[in-house]
Amino acid sequence: MTFYKKCTDSDSILNKRNNRRLKFATDFDKSIVINSFKIRDWKQVLPNEEWNIYWSNTLNCRTLFNHENGYRFQDRQLINHFPNHYELVRKDLLVKNIYRYQKNLEKAGHPLAEKIQETLPSAHKVTRYLYLDFIPTTYVLPSNYKRFVDEYHRFPQSTWIIKPCGKSQGEGIFLINKLSKLKKWSRESKKCIQNNLPSKDMYIISRYIDNPLLIGGKKFDLRIYVLVTSFRPLKAYMFRNGFCRFCSIKYNSSVSELDNMYIHITNVSVQKHGEEYNSQHGGKLSLKNLKLFLEGTRGQHVTTRLFENINWILVHSLKAVAPIMSNDRHCFECYGYDIIIDDNLKPWLIEVNASPSMTATTMNDEILKCNLFDNILSVVLPPSGIPDARWNKTPDANALRDFEILIDEDSILNEDLILNEDLKVKRNT
Amino acid sequence: MENIKEETIHHTAMKLAEEIKNLSIYKSFYSDVQKLVSSPSVKKEDFKQTLQQAMKEKGLDTKLRNTVFHWVRTQNKQNKLDPLTSLSKASAQWEKRIHKSLNSMCSDLETSLAKIRSQSEQEELADKWNELSTYSLDLSKYRPVYAPKDFLDVLLTLSGYVPFTKEDEPKWEFAHLPLQVKTLDQLRKIYQEWANGEPLLGVNPNMPSTVPGFATLEAERIGLGERVAVLGYAPVIQEYLKKGSPQCLRAKLWSQVLGADVKQQQIIYFNQLKKNVLEVDLMIDKLIFKDVQLTASNDDQYFVFEDLLYQVMLCFSRDGEAARAAGASALRVAVKGRHAPDCLIAFPPSGVIPFHGFTMYATPFCYLYDDPVQLYFMFRAFYMRYWHRLHYISTHPQGIVSLCLLYERLLEANEPLLWIHFRNININPIRVVFKWLMRAFSGHLPPDQLLLLWDAILGYDCLEILPLLALAILSFRKENIFQVNTLQNVDAVLADLSTISVIPLLQLALMKS
Repeated sequence: MTFYKKCTDSDSILNKRNNRRLKFATDFDKSIVINSFKIRDWKQVLPNEEWNIYWSNTLNCRTLFNHENGYRFQDRQLINHFPNHYELVRKDLLVKNIYRYQKNLEKAGHPLAEKIQETLPSAHKVTRYLYLDFIPTTYVLPSNYKRFVDEYHRFPQSTWIIKPCGKSQGEGIFLINKLSKLKKWSRESKKCIQNNLPSKDMYIISRYIDNPLLIGGKKFDLRIYVLVTSFRPLKAYMFRNGFCRFCSIKYNSSVSELDNMYIHITNVSVQKHGEEYNSQHGGKLSLKNLKLFLEGTRGQHVTTRLFENINWILVHSLKAVAPIMSNDRHCFECYGYDIIIDDNLKPWLIEVNASPSMTATTMNDEILKCNLFDNILSVVLPPSGIPDARWNKTPDANALRDFEILIDEDSILNEDLILNEDLKVKRNT
Repeated sequence: MENIKEETIHHTAMKLAEEIKNLSIYKSFYSDVQKLVSSPSVKKEDFKQTLQQAMKEKGLDTKLRNTVFHWVRTQNKQNKLDPLTSLSKASAQWEKRIHKSLNSMCSDLETSLAKIRSQSEQEELADKWNELSTYSLDLSKYRPVYAPKDFLDVLLTLSGYVPFTKEDEPKWEFAHLPLQVKTLDQLRKIYQEWANGEPLLGVNPNMPSTVPGFATLEAERIGLGERVAVLGYAPVIQEYLKKGSPQCLRAKLWSQVLGADVKQQQIIYFNQLKKNVLEVDLMIDKLIFKDVQLTASNDDQYFVFEDLLYQVMLCFSRDGEAARAAGASALRVAVKGRHAPDCLIAFPPSGVIPFHGFTMYATPFCYLYDDPVQLYFMFRAFYMRYWHRLHYISTHPQGIVSLCLLYERLLEANEPLLWIHFRNININPIRVVFKWLMRAFSGHLPPDQLLLLWDAILGYDCLEILPLLALAILSFRKENIFQVNTLQNVDAVLADLSTISVIPLLQLALMKS
């Protein structure tokens, strides 16, 4: 594999200096994970042994953080999930947290929560947030079923998309445009509930974005990786090499095609099984090329604004959950954000994934994910190369590489302090 | 002396005035002028002055200037008999071979070269016109007629036309052909702005601007570019493109500089081409489909645009105007299902038999135009001015043969150690770069870099930058090339150009003293 860099001399020297090699454990037997550690001359151990970094799956991570198990993390240990990441990653909790964030800002009279009234082409008048309107109207089922039905009746022509809360990879998702279809489903689900299944919120239903931006007549969504090393203060980094995932068949919003999954669901796992799927490019187009195309065909101003709005979504979705996230020093996490752009060049947040796939679908994909993984390590490890939960988590420019700072509340705070100090000095002289 | 000069100018002006009457824009232009004359701004007493002033204000002056500009540029393209008969003989032979290959493919597959499409087929094609990637064809038995490699083999045999060769000299050098090419110093004079180290957009768009009011070079170029675009005067735009264009202005500037604006007339013309595609099934259509599938559809930079490309390439094949550019002799074939007198057509009307990768001449424009008609006319303008030179044999100084020779000479003169290395490992240096030259680097460089390179082709109106870039890349990677000794390994060193920054590399090569 020519794209794995060789284990550098500095890595081995560091290890020799420490008199021992650093250790990693992983629940994923994936070359991208294992090789990234091996080229740094780390040793692989089992999860129940002493490790410095544990690339865990969510289940095992949750078990570790479970109070009953009494596991205590050492200073030199890092793990790749935050204990309650489900606040961001479960579809219903994300929506609840964002709605709460909006309401709190509104109650406090914060300018961010400014609202605007709009008249839709259908002559309906709607009020929406000017700056915080980045998720499509969503209801949690079954608890918000009544409110959903009310909304449905206000706009009977819309299409809605139903997603199970706990599943991923496009599983269990379907579209409806008739209430009757939902009624049939809800009757069936009530039966399941009666048969002794826990009656927590199992699904969300969102207004379907039926005017997605199309390129070459095809629908796509964006996958953007965001690395968070701390929630309070919020420190988040965006990986520059995000990509678009294209549907393999031309987009068709007609009713008869609602069931054709390959048109609507852009998850690669679904697309992979379509006849038109091409394994050379895997339906993936780089974010860089998307920007090039939009600048070339639509102009620079609207393109810059679109990408600024995307950054805005990333930051505010994190701010929405930051207050309730368990800000354990031993944690970092790389989230996979799914975003859809509509044909007005407005981005919408669809969901956030905690375990973005470390499987590569094409050659380019493999290179990208190797770079991503290696880059994650270079950001979360201090200059010494040894994990340190007490480190100030401020990577220097060389370590950032393809990550760019999305927000660093720590440095903003420091800048304010320095500014204040300057003022004090000026006042005293 | 002055009198003679005056007379030639007068003579040319008269000729030009006559020629303009034959141009397609004449009718609407003349009626615009008529309307202007009948307006109060033009006075009978001072007719000439007021008319000229009024034309300037209405933009008709610019229109006329642009027309003259484009006319002058196309005059150089007159087809003269190729002075080197050996080359013209080789060219004719190569074309014959291609035609023969087509004919045998046709009889092997038991189909006709041209036939009328059935009503149902026409309807299906019309239905799927915007998503031809879903139009199912069995293309398994069709193969591209030739690939760049085959064309290179033909070019290499050209050197065999030398009457005298020394025994120990390898037979594959283009240097034996009596064609004049430039040296690096002469190239420096052409690419003066680059050789002088002037700031170029492709080097560092974020570098601070020296012009007050603009924070960065990019902002400065956008400001200037917008003014240039509004002015709409083609020679000025050409000059502007020398230092690179911001992506947001390229679509407009490129179409202005090549006179490829799309108006109602062009839309009608395109629809007529589409009609021709629907009515008559040419065997070439299968080859076009195959090529798009093999190249653009598999390319992770261009796969999204495949449906647009089908439309563009199919219509292009029916465009008789493209045939004028290359002056190739097209096959004339009978259309099955049509009867005399008009049963013979040029096959294909464009005179261009696509080879493997031909689609790549069009793919980069997909990043500038999402409308198929605009895309079409831009691609066609580029083809008629530049790309056809890359796959026809001629002595033209911008033709592929001259470009190969230029590359060879530049390599030998400026990278002698590399040249010797290639000789030692018995690899013809043209082999490792030919596919880049023939495709103008499309598909080999990422789109953003490629568009910067094509800015330079337009700005300086010449293709000599292609062999120069090939040389610069080899020079950049020479340490790695020295370490290998098979063609396969050299290809591997040069396979991935995704990290190459084209403009800095070129400017470095031109600035070296």
